[in-house]
Parts: sequence; C-alpha cells; structure tokens
Amino acid sequence: MPTVAGDRQTASRGAIPAARRRRRLIGERLSFQIGLILPSVLVLLLFQVVPIFIGTDASFRRWSLYDPDKTWVGLEHYRYVLSDTNFLFTVLPNTFLLIVASVGLSLALGMAVALLLHRGFAAQRLVQTVVLLPLMIGPVIASTMMRWTFNDQFGVVNAFLGWLGLGQPAWLADRWYAFGVIVFTDVWIWTPWFALLLLAGLKSLPKEPFEAAALDAAGRWRIFTHITVPMLRPVIGVCVVIRAIDCFRTFDQVWLLTGGGPARSTEVFSIYVFMEAFQNLNFARGSAAAVIGTLIIMVAGLALYALINRFMEVSR
Amino acid sequence: MSLASSAAPLPRRTGLFDLLRPGARAAFMILAVSAVLLLFLAPIIILVVTSLRPGWGVYYIHRGTEFTLANYVEVFQRGVVIEAFFNSFLVATAATILSLGVTVTSGYMLSRFKGWLPKTWFTSIYVFRTVPYISWVLPLYVVNESLGLYDTFFGILAAHVAVHVCFFSWIMKGFFDGIDPSMEYAAMIDGCTRWGAFRRVALPAAGPAIAALGILSWLWTWNEFLFALILTGNRTPLLTVTMAQFVTELGTEWNLMSAMAVMAMIPAVIITLFAQKYVIQGLRI
Repeated sequence: MPTVAGDRQTASRGAIPAARRRRRLIGERLSFQIGLILPSVLVLLLFQVVPIFIGTDASFRRWSLYDPDKTWVGLEHYRYVLSDTNFLFTVLPNTFLLIVASVGLSLALGMAVALLLHRGFAAQRLVQTVVLLPLMIGPVIASTMMRWTFNDQFGVVNAFLGWLGLGQPAWLADRWYAFGVIVFTDVWIWTPWFALLLLAGLKSLPKEPFEAAALDAAGRWRIFTHITVPMLRPVIGVCVVIRAIDCFRTFDQVWLLTGGGPARSTEVFSIYVFMEAFQNLNFARGSAAAVIGTLIIMVAGLALYALINRFMEVSR
Repeated sequence: MSLASSAAPLPRRTGLFDLLRPGARAAFMILAVSAVLLLFLAPIIILVVTSLRPGWGVYYIHRGTEFTLANYVEVFQRGVVIEAFFNSFLVATAATILSLGVTVTSGYMLSRFKGWLPKTWFTSIYVFRTVPYISWVLPLYVVNESLGLYDTFFGILAAHVAVHVCFFSWIMKGFFDGIDPSMEYAAMIDGCTRWGAFRRVALPAAGPAIAALGILSWLWTWNEFLFALILTGNRTPLLTVTMAQFVTELGTEWNLMSAMAVMAMIPAVIITLFAQKYVIQGLRI
C-alpha cells in the first residue's frame, strides 16, 4: 500500500532519485522502517538486552568480593536455586497462587463494576471517578494505606471487627492472612483496570442480540452468560493474559506489605531474587533465580499468546 | 441442549433481580453503588484522616477529634522530602518525554508496514514485555555501578525509558491503527516524503491519544518503586522510596508517612478529576 504512493512520489521527482535508489543496498522503504524503529531498538538493546546477557553470564560465575576473578562455576547456582525448598515449595506456589487469586478476583469484581457502570445511573460519573483512583495512585501508596488499615493493633479493620465482636487477627503476622491482604491490595489496585476495559468492551457491543434476547424473554443471568460473556471473550482473554503476565513480576505490594515475611512465607518470585541479591548479597545466585523466572514466564507468555490467538479466532 | 427444551416456547425466566419490586430494585442499586464507593474510597479516607491527626492521636484514628496540619509542616521540614518530590517530578517528566519520543515512530512503523521486519520487531516486543523487571534491573544495577551511573539521574531515567519501549510501542501501534492511512498516501502523492507524511499528517492525528498515554506514563513513573529502590540511593532520593523509609527503629511514623502519601497522591487525584477522559482513552490494550 505505501509502496504505490512511494513509487509515484519518486517518479514525480524525476529520474535522479530513482537512479540513486537503485544503487542503494537497502531499499528506501526498508531504510525508512529501520529509521523508525532505530531509537527504540537501541534503547532496548542497551538497557534491557545487554543487562540480561550480563546477568545470565553472572549466574554461571562466583560473584563475590573474595573472588575478583569471578570464577566460572557452571550450573552451581542453578542447582542451588532449584533444590532450594523455599524457592520450590513457597516462592513458586505463592507466585502462581497470587496470579490466580488476583486475576480471578479482579476480573470478577471488575466485571461487576463494569456492568454496574454500563447500566447508567445518577451518580455514575462520581462512581467512575472513584473507581479510577486506585489505578492512578499506584501500588506504593495503596500498599502503604492497606498496611495501616490492616494494622493488627490500631488498624481500622480490626477496630471494626472488634466492634462487631469478632476475632482480631494479626493480619501481617500469619502466612495466610498476610497473603490474603496482599491479594486484597492487588485486587483493589487492578479491579479498576478490568472494570474500565470491560466497560469499553461492553459499550462497543452491538445492541441487536440483547434486544432479541429480551424479546425471547431471557433472564438477566441467561443474557449475561449466553450473550455478554461470549461476545466479550476477546477482551476478557487479552485482559487476563496481560494481567497474568504482569502479575508474575509483582514486587511493590509484597515488599511494602510484608517484606516477604513472616519468615519468608509470603515471598514471590521478584522478592526472592531481590532477597538473594541484596539481602544475602549473592548477586550470582539472584541472577540464576532471575533467569529461571524469566524462562518460566517467557514460555508461559508465549503459550498464552498462542492460546489467545486461537481463542479469538474461534470466537470471531 | 435437548430437543424438547429448544422446541418448547421459552418460559419467562425470572431472576432474583426481576422478582424485586421497583423500589427494592432501586435500593439494590443504591446498595451496590455504595459498596463500590466504600471499597475504593475507604482506604483513601483512612489515609487522609491519619495524615491530619497529631502524632499521639494516630492510634485508633476513629477515636478523638483532634486535627492538625502539623504533619505536613514536619514532613516538609525534612530536606530529603522536598528533594524527593523535585527529583520524582524531574524523572517523571523527562522519562515521559523521552519514552514518547522514542516509541512514537516505532508504533507507527508497526502499524503501517507489513513484512519480516515489523513481524520480528513485534515478536521481540512481546517477548521482552514478559521479562520480569527484576531480571534486567538487577544486572542493570551492576552495569550502572561499574559505569558510575548508580544513584544518578541518568541511571534511573534510562531504566524508565527502557521499560516503556515495549509497552508503548504496542499501545502506539493501536493508536495509529485507528487512523485511516489514506490521508498519508494523499500527502505523499502531493510530494510529501514518507517522513513528512508521518510528521505532518499521522502525528497530529494521533496527538490526543499520545497525550493521553503521556499522562499515564508520567503517573506510572511518579509511582514507580522497584527501579528507585535498586538504582538510587541517598544522592538521588525519589518519592516512593523516601516514603517507605518512614519506618524507623521505634516503629512506623504513620502520621508523617500518611502526610507524605497524601501529598504524593495529589497529581493522581488532579488527573483523575480533570483528565479522566484522556486517561480512559490511554488505557488501551
């Protein structure tokens, strides 16, 4: 398509550019494409690809102050990480549990909010503004306020539970309560994202199927499960895949709420890498864990991408 | 589905919602809306109230009626806080301008061309977007340290621009996909170069969408924590890390931490109130 216009343009300019063009090794079209992506490619290479190579290289070496030669140790660090019971039986399950719980709950809640906003009511603009807030204020402030809200001694949640006459758990001192608070915070932050994207999806749906279903006297739940969800499937699918991949690298919420504690029981992948590298000061071991995590999420990401491509073609 | 059920006339399905009388239905709506408002507003309100309570009255904030602005004054008497706000503002602004500048052409290329090069580039973008931040920021820390860039403005800025490359190229592609390319072809027939058609025709058309992304980019950089934690120290204090440091040996100074969090929240609130339309436009996938 652009070639047609491009050729005409060179033709109208006369023979000289055409001749110069023929002598070039790379076509004008290709060199324009390269020019367009060159800045991005350079930034990506310099600040992501090169560090990834350095990190991968470091993961095969002994990296400490006592060993200035950085001796090549092969797979030693990988063997350590892959036989670390903490990594295998706490960190990885936590990471995947967080993905499933957070993505599932924020999808369900986001769908509910989207349906509510789609109905339209008097205070709709106010609600939409409030719903947008968590996404805008970001995970750091959100985690800070959640940590205070769930404070075991002075927090509002426990004050409220006490008023109801219920037990007041030490939220951040127990593994599963702490994990629950992390999931809750993550859901609090990401529900708005699902809600807004699903709302945009709902608004773009054609009206006819809904009118036809109403004529056939289908109930609300039936309309939802048989028309709304199947028609929204591409949007839901893309949202879930993007969010699931991003959720794998969650760091801020966990670090600020529990710091991976109590006793390293709520650590997720990013926290484990950080702890190995900066707390245990073993940069090479941290890098090995980082490489393992990257491989896991890359494979999962590509599989999800393939899945969603098929998924969306089928639904079309 | 069985034959009988598909042949028989569909019975009127009455859910719980339809059984309710109109008054009760309105009550249900009010209840649902209040629940949503409570869920999303309550933690923010608690934070704001905490920031307004004196240090001794922070505990059990629902008791007592003493309110004060002293926390804000005290926070700002710490030099590091002002420095952190200034640095975060600078990093967010510079990172936004640079990331948009770098990725706008990349998104245009992905949208307008077909072939092996765009395909390869798109695949790389997808693959690198899945890489967890810690996996490249950890070695970037070592790189920065050996280059003398650790704890400098440029070191943190580079990380922010790099993290935006993949994601923004992807979103920008969507922006340009929504613009009809025929105007660009017309411009090229009239003697515009390819570059001219991009700059004079496509870029202005994508302007509002790019501005929307810019607003989001600014906020994301403002709120970012992991890069700041790993790549900066005492020389370049940034907002989020400074805020997290209100945890002392004696416990967390919740009143001061809340005051700073409320201050840090102001840009987000202003943007949500006045630029909501743009934000929603920029939140694409």
